[in-house]
Amino acid sequence: MRMALGRVVATERRPNTPHEFHFWTALDSPVGIGTIVRVDGNRPVDGRIPHIYGVVTEGLSYTDLLTPMHDVLSHDGSPERAGFASAERAEIRLYSAAVLRQVPEEPLQPVPMGDVFLAQEEDVNVALRMDGYLHDGSNTGIPIGVYRAGGTDATIYLDADFLVGPEAAHLNITGVSGLATKTSAVEWLLASLFAHFPESRGSIAAVCFNVKGPDLCFLDLPGKLDDSDRALYEKMDVPARPFENVNYFAPYAARGYALNTLRSNEALAHNVTPLTWGLREVLQYAEVLLNRDDIDAKADALIDFITRSVIDQPFTDAMLTRSHVVQSFADLEDWFKDVLRGLENGNKESWRTHHVATIRKVRNRLSNISVRCAGLVTDSGPVSDLPFGEFEDRATYVVDVANLEEDAQDLIFARIVSKLREHLERRDLGVKHVVVFVDELNKYAPSDGPDTYVRKMLLDIAERGRYLGLVLFSAQQFRSQVHKRVVGNSGTSVFGRMDADELAAPGYAVLSPATRTKLATLEKGQLMIRHPHFTQPIFVRFPRPAVMTGRMGAEQFPQGGEVSLETAVYRSLRAQDSSVTMQAVEDAIGLHDEGDVLRALTLTLKERSGDAMATFRSRLPRRVTQSLKPRPQTAVLRGTPGDDPYGI
Amino acid sequence: MSIDALRAIQSLLPDAEIVQSDAPTDDSYAGAYSEAPHIASADLLEGQRLRAHIIEGDPEIRFAGFLDGVQRAKILCHRRGVPIIDGSVAAAIRIRVDRRYVTWGGSAPIISRRLYMPLALLGCEGRTEIEGIEIADTSYNVRTKELVSRHPAALRAVALERVGRDREDAERSLAEAWCVDDAEPLFVDGGISGSPRIAASHCAIGVIKSHQTLFADGDALDVVMSLKCGERSSVFAPPSHMRSPVASWYLRLRDPRGHDAMFGLVRIEVTMGHDLAARANEVSRWVLAESSPVALPDSRWDRMAYGIRDCEQFLRSIA
Repeated sequence: MRMALGRVVATERRPNTPHEFHFWTALDSPVGIGTIVRVDGNRPVDGRIPHIYGVVTEGLSYTDLLTPMHDVLSHDGSPERAGFASAERAEIRLYSAAVLRQVPEEPLQPVPMGDVFLAQEEDVNVALRMDGYLHDGSNTGIPIGVYRAGGTDATIYLDADFLVGPEAAHLNITGVSGLATKTSAVEWLLASLFAHFPESRGSIAAVCFNVKGPDLCFLDLPGKLDDSDRALYEKMDVPARPFENVNYFAPYAARGYALNTLRSNEALAHNVTPLTWGLREVLQYAEVLLNRDDIDAKADALIDFITRSVIDQPFTDAMLTRSHVVQSFADLEDWFKDVLRGLENGNKESWRTHHVATIRKVRNRLSNISVRCAGLVTDSGPVSDLPFGEFEDRATYVVDVANLEEDAQDLIFARIVSKLREHLERRDLGVKHVVVFVDELNKYAPSDGPDTYVRKMLLDIAERGRYLGLVLFSAQQFRSQVHKRVVGNSGTSVFGRMDADELAAPGYAVLSPATRTKLATLEKGQLMIRHPHFTQPIFVRFPRPAVMTGRMGAEQFPQGGEVSLETAVYRSLRAQDSSVTMQAVEDAIGLHDEGDVLRALTLTLKERSGDAMATFRSRLPRRVTQSLKPRPQTAVLRGTPGDDPYGI
Repeated sequence: MSIDALRAIQSLLPDAEIVQSDAPTDDSYAGAYSEAPHIASADLLEGQRLRAHIIEGDPEIRFAGFLDGVQRAKILCHRRGVPIIDGSVAAAIRIRVDRRYVTWGGSAPIISRRLYMPLALLGCEGRTEIEGIEIADTSYNVRTKELVSRHPAALRAVALERVGRDREDAERSLAEAWCVDDAEPLFVDGGISGSPRIAASHCAIGVIKSHQTLFADGDALDVVMSLKCGERSSVFAPPSHMRSPVASWYLRLRDPRGHDAMFGLVRIEVTMGHDLAARANEVSRWVLAESSPVALPDSRWDRMAYGIRDCEQFLRSIA
C-alpha cells in the first residue's frame, strides 16, 4: 500500500477550487515544483471516490514566527546560538497544485480534502490524458522525455495526431542560446518522431534549415552519450544512434568552387549536394528579394509579363533587334538591353504599356539578384535542388544557409517551403508529412517590423500547414518577440532555460512565479512541455542527441579550405564514384571555362550515374578540334640585291 | 456556534435563549479559574533562609516530553439566566524527535466535550447526555457540595471551574501514563502536586508560569523579585493543603531589566527527595535549556517553553 505524502488543506483565505488545490507534506517529502500528485477524496461522489491529479505549481515554507525579529530574539542575535536551541521551530511545506484532471470529470467540483500521493507511472498516464492515445493497436505516442519525481520515472508522450496533424500541429521551442536546448531538443525529438511515428499515419521526412554555425551539420555522425543518456533512450525505446538517411544541401561560396557550408570536409562530401538555382526558380520568388518600394503595381506587372511571356520561350518583337530565348540571368540582361535600346532608338517612353522607368528599375533590381545571391543563383548554370517528388520516409534534408546573406537565406527558405507545399498539395512529394525546422524565428517571423514574404509564409504554414502535412518545428530565444499567430498556432510548446527578462513578458503571466523561477534555472536536458492533452505544463528530462555536436564536428572535420576548380570537381565526383582520379579530372577540364565546368559538375551530381567521370565529360561542351592542315605553299620571295633596295 | 449542541439543548429545553456572541466565555489554557493574588509562606528545604543561587554549568537539553492541556468554554444559551456552557478540554504530550515535536505514541491525546449545565436549576435532573453529547451537572459546588447560587455569574464560575478540573484530569491522566511507561523527564505545564502518583514520580517536572500565589514573604519576596537571569531561589515546600507534597523553587529564565518583576520567572515543582539543592540545579539547567527557541508569538513567551507552545498549537488544531 502506498504511503500518503501529504494532506489537502483549504482555508477560507486560501480555498481549493476545481482547478487548484493546496496540500502540505512532511519536510523531507520528494515534492517539488512540477511534481505530479494524486488526491484521493475522502468520500464518494455519485458512488465513486474522486481522484484528482495535479501538478505542483507553487511551494511555500514558513514557521510559526510572526516576524523575523522573534527569531533574532530567540537566539540573542547570534546565529551561532541557533544550533544550541532545544528544538526546531514548527515548520510547514505548503504546496499549491494546478489540477490536471479529475476522475470522474463530472460533476466538476472543488478539490475535496483527502490524502495526497506521489503519482506513479500509471497515474501520470491518466493525469496527462495519455491513456487516450497509448492504446495497443492505435498508439500515437511520441516520447518527448521522462518525468521524474521521487521514485517515479514515467515516459511522457506527445500525441502524433496533435504534433504532426491533422488535429493540431507544429512545435515551438524557446530557450536561451548555448544551453543545449533548442537544437538538441529538436534533434532528439526528430529521432523520437522517426522511431515512433505510427506506420498507419504514413511516411514522414524532415527539412532542417541550418541557420547558424555547424549546429545541424553532423546529424549522421555518432555523438557522445553517457550511461544516463542511454538509459533514457532505452526507457523511451528510441535507438541511440545518429540519423541514418541525411542529405545536405548548400550553395557554392560566392567566390571559389567550394560549397558554402561548414560540412565541407572531404570525408563528409558523399551526401552534400550543391544548391543552385537559375532564373526561373528565382523569378517566381522575386518578391522575396525585392522590398515593398520595389514592387509597386507597375513593377509587379512587368515581372509578371516577363515570367509569363519571356522566360523559356522564343520572344520576338518588332522593336527588338533579334529573337530572344531567355533561360538565364545573362539572357535576361541581353533582353533588357535590347528592349531599352529599341526604346531609345524609337525615342519612345513606353513599350507594351510598361514605362521605360519601370523597365529600367526592374532590370536594375533583377539583374543584381545573381550578385546578391552569388553562389546560389547562377547566371547561366543548371539547377540543383532538393529531390522534390522523391523524398524518402524518415529522411532528413538539411539545407545549410548559415553563411549566406540574408536575402539568399530568405529566398532559399521561401522557395523550398513553397515547393514543399505545392508537392504536398499534389500529394507527390514522396512522403505524406514533412517537418520543417526553422531556428531564429525572431528573425523570420518577428512580432513587429515589415510584413515580409517569409513571415507571411510562416504564418500560412502555421495556420494551414497541418491540413497538408506540412509541420513547422520552430525555435527562438525570445518567444515574446515572435508573431503571435505563429507561436499561437503551435499545438506543442517546449521551453528550455529561459532568460529572466523574457519571462517577465506578459505571455508568461499564466505561469506561477515558482514555475517561472524553475524555468529560469532549468538544467541542461530539462524541458517544460505544453501540449494540447496536458492541461498544465509538465517538466521532463530528455537525453543528449545521439549525434555529433556542431562544435565537436567542426573540430574533427575541419572546414575544407579554398580549392582549385580541378580539386573541387575531383572531390565532388569522387564522392559519387571512387574510381575518379585527379588526372582524369584535369584532363577533362583542360581549357574549358569555369562556367562550363561547374554546369557539367552540377548536372553530373544531379544525375548520380554510375560512371561519374564519363557523365562529367559528356556534359562538358564539345570543343571544336581543328585539324592541322599544311599551310599552302607560297612562292618564295626573290631576294633583293644588296645594292638595289627597291628590287628593280 | 455549535449547531449540534444547540439542537440538542433545544430538544430538551425549547425555551432556552441562544446567546449570539461568538466570543468564547473562557479562552485561557491554564488556570481556568483564577484566584486573587496573594502571598503565602512556605517551608524552606534548602538552607536557613531563602536566597538566590547561581545555576552553574551549561543548560542541558534533557526533557523528552512536554505535557499541556487546553480548555475552551462558551455560553451557548441560557434559560431564565441559568447558563448552559459548551466546554471542551484536550491534553497531549509532545515528544522531541530530531529536534522536532511529534505526538507521544504512548497514549493518545485526550479530547472531550461536554455541556456544563446545572440540571437541578433547569429541572432535568438525572440526565447524563443529550443526543449523544455528555452532560456535566454543575448544580452543586464541588468542595462544599451545596446547591450553587442562582446568581448567573456564580453559575458561570462554577461551570468554568468544572471545565478547568476536567482539563486537569486529562493532563493528570496523561502524566500518569508517562510516568508509568517512560522514565525520561517530562515537562509538565503547571504544578504536579494535584496527583500523588505524579508528585511522587522522579520524571515529572512541573513548571508554573502564573504566580497568583507567591510562596515568599518578607525578605524572601525581595530575593525572588530580585533574581537575575540564570538564578534560582532556595528550594522550599509549598503548603500542601489538599495536594501532595513537592519541592519547589523559583527560577529566572530571562533578564528582567526593562520588564516587570515577574518577567521570565517560573516556579518549578519536583518530587521530594534527597539532595534537593543538587536536584534543583540540575532541573534548572534543563528548564533553562528550553528557553530557546523563544515561544513567540505567545504573549507568555518569557516564561513559556517552546515545547509547551507547540503542544498548545497542536491541541488548538485538533480540539
